[in-house]
Amino acid sequence: MKESEEKARSLLTLKQVILQVWLCCASLWRFWVSHAVPLDCKDETGSLTHCTSISQEKLLDRVIQHAELIYRVSEESCTLFEEMFVPYPLHTLRNQAGNVCHSKPFPIPGSKSEIQQISDTWLLHSVLILVQSWMEPLLYLQTTLDRYDDAPDALLNKTKWVSDKLLSLEQGVVVLIRKMLNEGILTSSSAIEQTLAPYDGQSPEVLESVLRDYNLLTCFKKDAHKMETFLKLLKCRQSNKLSCLSH
Amino acid sequence: MLRALSAWETAIYRSSRQDSNICRQRARASDIRVIPENPPTRSSLFPKRCSDLIADNFSEAEETAEAMAYSLSLSLLYLGLLCGNGPVSARGSKLFTPDPSRGPHFTGCRSREQETFRCWWSAGTFQNLTEPGALRVFYQTKNALSSEWKECPDYTHTVENECYFNKTFTHIWTSYCIQLRSVPQNITYDEACFTVENIVHPDPPIGLNWTLLNVSRSGLHFDILVRWAPPPSADVQMGWMSLVYQVQYRVRNTSQWEMLDLESGTQQSIYGLHTDKEYEVRVRCKMSAFDNFGEFSDSIIVHVAQIPSKESTFPMTLVLIFGVIGVVILLILLIFSQQQRLMVIFLPPIPAPKIKGIDPELLKNGKLDQLNSLLSSQDMYKPDFYHEDPWVEFIQLDLDDPPEKNEGSDTQHLLGLSRSGSSRVLNFKSDDDSGRASCYDPETPDPEDLASLLPGHSGQGEQHPLVSRSSSSFPELGVQQTSEVVETPIQAQPAVPSWVNMDFYAQVSDFTPAGGVVLSPGQLNSSPEKKKEEENEKKKIQFQLLSDGAYTSENTARQLSADVPPGPGPEQGYQSFPTQAVEGNLWNGEYLVSASDSQTPYLLPEAPPVPILPPVSDYTVVQEVDAQHSLLLNPPSSQPTVCSHSPNKHLPAMPTMPMGYLTPDLLGNLTP
Repeated sequence: MKESEEKARSLLTLKQVILQVWLCCASLWRFWVSHAVPLDCKDETGSLTHCTSISQEKLLDRVIQHAELIYRVSEESCTLFEEMFVPYPLHTLRNQAGNVCHSKPFPIPGSKSEIQQISDTWLLHSVLILVQSWMEPLLYLQTTLDRYDDAPDALLNKTKWVSDKLLSLEQGVVVLIRKMLNEGILTSSSAIEQTLAPYDGQSPEVLESVLRDYNLLTCFKKDAHKMETFLKLLKCRQSNKLSCLSH
Repeated sequence: MLRALSAWETAIYRSSRQDSNICRQRARASDIRVIPENPPTRSSLFPKRCSDLIADNFSEAEETAEAMAYSLSLSLLYLGLLCGNGPVSARGSKLFTPDPSRGPHFTGCRSREQETFRCWWSAGTFQNLTEPGALRVFYQTKNALSSEWKECPDYTHTVENECYFNKTFTHIWTSYCIQLRSVPQNITYDEACFTVENIVHPDPPIGLNWTLLNVSRSGLHFDILVRWAPPPSADVQMGWMSLVYQVQYRVRNTSQWEMLDLESGTQQSIYGLHTDKEYEVRVRCKMSAFDNFGEFSDSIIVHVAQIPSKESTFPMTLVLIFGVIGVVILLILLIFSQQQRLMVIFLPPIPAPKIKGIDPELLKNGKLDQLNSLLSSQDMYKPDFYHEDPWVEFIQLDLDDPPEKNEGSDTQHLLGLSRSGSSRVLNFKSDDDSGRASCYDPETPDPEDLASLLPGHSGQGEQHPLVSRSSSSFPELGVQQTSEVVETPIQAQPAVPSWVNMDFYAQVSDFTPAGGVVLSPGQLNSSPEKKKEEENEKKKIQFQLLSDGAYTSENTARQLSADVPPGPGPEQGYQSFPTQAVEGNLWNGEYLVSASDSQTPYLLPEAPPVPILPPVSDYTVVQEVDAQHSLLLNPPSSQPTVCSHSPNKHLPAMPTMPMGYLTPDLLGNLTP
């Protein structure tokens, strides 16, 4: 996890930068000209100051790293939970959880060909939707896991970490959207309605709830992989449009 | 969840007759890993036969009411997965050996690049279904939009029993369920569900090559850098797949592969390989954070010949040689510098003869009185010493029969040997007549019979150190004496055994005319003859008395001869070594006196009986040496002569053996 910690630290700075940039952009979005021009930021006093910003490529790289990390941590959390709580024969349920994951407001293409055909805008928005759709369930998962009697600390820590990083990822994607697509988007995590069943007071150790949580984790893992793939595709497009599109 | 459970439930009830298929269905719930090539990643803890479990559960399921169906289905699901996942939970990378003992079933599904995938099935034991078209594959994508079953989009023509899903039909991150049906009978033989990213087994990397990084100084080890390229089918550049690689290597023709850590780049270093060994290196890849490795690439051979590094050995030998030479030089220097000390350590000096308890300085410088007192209290003579070569000490002077003495005999030879070797022999040279008369004690034995004359001086030139150098008067006698003396012991040799049991010392009581010495019978079993005729001749002989009674002068010899019967004082016995006079008989048997071969007087046990003499000390103390180089023993009260020595008189006063052996240097100090 050392490299993850290092990356976490780098992403913290990213988070701060994104916040600052977002503030600047949110307030001065109409002065946005091009990608390469550093944004004019407005500090607390309201005067225009020169922001410390990063280039779009670097930002994208960092976002991709973020997504990779989230995916890896989600996979580890899923494995931990599986080993700890899920009875051995039910491990295969992870592979058939496709229909159980909560649905998205709009269908996200699944095949590579489709994904290649969609535009950058679509990609970024898909990522954003994915990120935003998982914020609430992860919080729910955190509370659920806390109720387990012998949940390992690593699992709890990972889940918490993922929730935090998801926030950062969201902010980064928003900035990317602003930068790349010249759009202003208000971040609102409540826009996605949750389809999760409310906490029904059952004991968390019952197989039902265990399986539900397991399903949640596997779904999140899948979506994290999706996010990562989308962002990487985007990066390829940004760097070399020809080869990426014509595969 | 409820929907999934109900699906299981229906599946169970529908195919109640096909126990094994139910198990297989549960197995298909995983991502179609059929025959585990590798051991399962998670231990299969349920070795029970699937059919047994299902049978148990079936009986159980049939009896329960519907209200219990839900929980039952859960438990059945559990058991079904339990028995089904045993062999299937393994993430086998190898495919599809169809199980011939079963009915139609899927043998596996795989995706190479996360864009398409294929599924294979087998008819199994149902041979009547082997013709194409008998079995069909239906799939369902479990996403929200559609849930109807569609048929396989493409049955591969070239490969038997393969269903190919191309790019348009492949949706990542969606779970598929496929069914193997026989449409005419409307029987579903097998079902499986999976998501595409979980069945991705990437192609092997290509372009594997190696470069030498370095070779160790010893030439025994080397490091290499292995490079490869990602599989062309995997779209790594676009970021569609992120691959990690695993390099394995082994010594050629061994069975154990060394595995290195996962590497996300396309190169890796291998350290610590041995030269002169051939290595095989191969690489495989998988999607990061997934578990399915692809196939291994082709192995490459790595070999680095060992350079026979003479340069490395050459300095070593030089260093060794120089080191050895340096050490040797050091040793030599050490030895030479510490020569004295080393000599002392390795070749200790022979200690000077030392009389126990007596200070050598005292002997050198002290008065005779002190010496007497000292020596009298010492027990310095060791009988064993005498036993070594008794013959050495006692040689008879035989002046009469020189020619006889020339006869060779064994004893003569023996004596000849011992004669040359002994240095303790006391030569006694007869002095001239001038001083003899006064000095000789009549009872002292004939000096020439004194056995202390050693054959050591074969020539007159050799003089015993204790004997003074007044050889001017003796030369003619000395030779004869020596010869005579030599002879007598030789002749006396045969008689040795007769009195070998006797004491070493005997008191000479008389002298025979032939020159034989008659020993006193007191200490001796045999009584020597006396030859009075010899006395006159022996006047010329003056014996130097070394110790008490060691030598008797001519006078004493005459006196002795005159006084035959009485046994002479114990001092008559010649002795070159002091012993306990109490034992006085030590020397008794030592005298070799024989005037002639036929006359071995004192040696013969059949000698005339000699009156028993009172046991007296044989020895006396030499007090000083007078000008005539004669040893002065304890001056007897009755002796008015200058040579006041009357050993026999003084002997009672000193019963013990008074004195030790005088070394030549001591004697030198004694002589004035």
